[in-house]
Amino acid sequence: MSWLRRALELVWGLLRELADESAYQRHLALHGRQHSGEEWRRFSEERLRAKYAQAKCC
Amino acid sequence: MVWVAVAVAAAVALGAIAVLRGEHINSMWLVVAAASTYAVSYRFYGKFIAARVMALDDRRATPAERLRNGHDFEPTNRWIVLGHHFAAIAGPGPLVGPVLAAQFGYLPGTLWIIIGAVLGGAVQDFVILFASMRRDGKSLGQMAREEIGKLGGFMALAAVLLIMIILLAVVALVVVNALKGSAWGAFTIAATMPTALLMGLYLRYWRPGKVLEASAMGFALVIASIFAGRSAAASATLAPLFTLTAMTLAIAIVVYGFLASALPVWLLLAPRDYLSTFVKLGVVCMLGVGILFVRPELQLPAFTRFVDGTGPVFAGKIFPFCFITIACGAVSGFHALISSGTTPKMIARESHACPVGYGSMLAESFVAIMAMVAACVLHPGVYFAVNSPAGVVGANPAAAVATISSWGFPVTVPEMTSLARDVGEASLFARTGGAPSLALGMAQIFARSGGGQAMIGFWYHFAIMFEALFILTIIDAGTRVGRFMLQDLLGHVSKPLGRTSWMPGVVATSALIVAAWGYFLVQGVRDPLGGINSLWPLFGIANQLLAAIALCVGTTILLKMHGGKYLWITCVPLAWLVTVTFVAAWQKIFSPIPAIGFLAQANKLEAALSAGSGAAATAPALIFNARLDAAICGVLLVMVAVILADSLRIWAGILRGTREARVMESPFVLSQLRPEEL
Repeated sequence: MSWLRRALELVWGLLRELADESAYQRHLALHGRQHSGEEWRRFSEERLRAKYAQAKCC
Repeated sequence: MVWVAVAVAAAVALGAIAVLRGEHINSMWLVVAAASTYAVSYRFYGKFIAARVMALDDRRATPAERLRNGHDFEPTNRWIVLGHHFAAIAGPGPLVGPVLAAQFGYLPGTLWIIIGAVLGGAVQDFVILFASMRRDGKSLGQMAREEIGKLGGFMALAAVLLIMIILLAVVALVVVNALKGSAWGAFTIAATMPTALLMGLYLRYWRPGKVLEASAMGFALVIASIFAGRSAAASATLAPLFTLTAMTLAIAIVVYGFLASALPVWLLLAPRDYLSTFVKLGVVCMLGVGILFVRPELQLPAFTRFVDGTGPVFAGKIFPFCFITIACGAVSGFHALISSGTTPKMIARESHACPVGYGSMLAESFVAIMAMVAACVLHPGVYFAVNSPAGVVGANPAAAVATISSWGFPVTVPEMTSLARDVGEASLFARTGGAPSLALGMAQIFARSGGGQAMIGFWYHFAIMFEALFILTIIDAGTRVGRFMLQDLLGHVSKPLGRTSWMPGVVATSALIVAAWGYFLVQGVRDPLGGINSLWPLFGIANQLLAAIALCVGTTILLKMHGGKYLWITCVPLAWLVTVTFVAAWQKIFSPIPAIGFLAQANKLEAALSAGSGAAATAPALIFNARLDAAICGVLLVMVAVILADSLRIWAGILRGTREARVMESPFVLSQLRPEEL
């Protein structure tokens, strides 16, 4: 059953990556900061600005 | 031995779909043919390119490691990068293109989806990903400028802007055609707006950072809105409010695109993008499981009579229009932007580029195969009744069924009425654009997988919601990106116009971009041939043009690395794309058949107007539009010629030794990544 656990972990990891939650955790760790509403807004604005400077694929 | 068995399975399945005639074949033949061909090509061709041509080296640090910043540059698990890349490249193209191309029958489209992806699309994505990965994650435009020259870089930028305007118009038209006259559909899609706004506020103020939680809530609300939509459609008060004409919907989408482009991104665009990404991946998986579970038989024949170019969905022969129409399901120039965008900045090991670049395109191609299956499970008469514009088959149901039945695809008015009633629609005639017929096919597969016929209305609107959700996200994001590009350009003329924080500049540039794609959208709505006939080929040509630019960049890089030895890898698909794009653009301009050639169409309308038999009020606008489309096609044709000529000049110089063949890769740095970091 370890393969199933590994597969589920990967799916969860993908969902967190697509949701930018992993990137946010990395951002907190990199800057040694704690989670807060203000911190999320700061991270999110920077992240989304970069993300939507590129067109969505057809 | 395993690979011999897989290769035999591929050969047998491909042989079966090519040879079996006169009976309905099971969709599993297509699934087996595609899956086995992908497996063999990935194992042998993809790995060959990775090992011999690119010489991928896991000891070499990737940009994700060297330039690690925790944001975009971050070494990431390869399966997560693969999923991320696939989610980014999978758009409406591979779903809509195959459905439209099914008018030729299932065989031409299926073969091109498989062969085109294996030899063209996956190669393009992989080569560009590799090139960008070895150049610190540079974009296609930057690489085109460096490898081919300033002209190549400018052409890449111009092609992106042109594609985007046409893309936004054509996908908006798909949504308009899916929602016109449908109170249930319009209510469901309208309900996604407050849902997205609620998600945006939830993430911003109530539960910051809880994106998965907000998306789960958003998904529950969207499902609830599908059920509420049924009640709204049955309500005497609400139904008239949400039963909208094509023109009203077009105007609503244009206004929406303008507002969404000017609103803060966190409020509407980002939350809906999160939601649509999860819904998209979920529905693609559901469709795959549904097809495997139901194993439906294909009702459309291998070939239809419309291979002769007289098709009602769009006019033109298999060559070149089948290839132009399928576009993204086999080769997509737009993928080169993703392969040289976010993805190369996440690759932890060089060898991961093969599953991510080559493998993701195969997965996208498989989505196109599933769309082809969904279209072909419909009875041919139903398929053509839904996809044929009123201008071709007749405006009233009796005339439409008579025309379609006379083509050898029997269908009756009661049959169409019953089907429309089952899915909760007033009518399914002339619902062009591909989305409604795809939704019908998907609904049949989902209903047979669970819920039965009683749930077919829910599944139909679920599929429409799924398509509209991510198309509207493309419209938001595309308008915003177009605005940035325009502001960047206008900033050279007037500094304030270039500032993204100066509201008058934001409003003016948003309005300009929206006006550009809105014009083509309105043109599509007014077009008596349904709009798709004109706009989808334009989109396909523009998309394949961008792919040709990407392959020119790839060819230049391979030439600098190995001389002429491996040139065929990118040159074969490039030669094919250039031929297809050239012939298609030429025919769209100069064909003497009015349904195909824009100029012939304008001349026919002009002659009718002069003779007094044309509609005096609308004909001048239609004539102008046909000439405008011809001019755009001409621009695309010239761009193909210029890029090719410029690239040939560079290649000839390299081969003759008169031009420096310096490979512009970042220097080798030994990777320090530990296995546990992957």
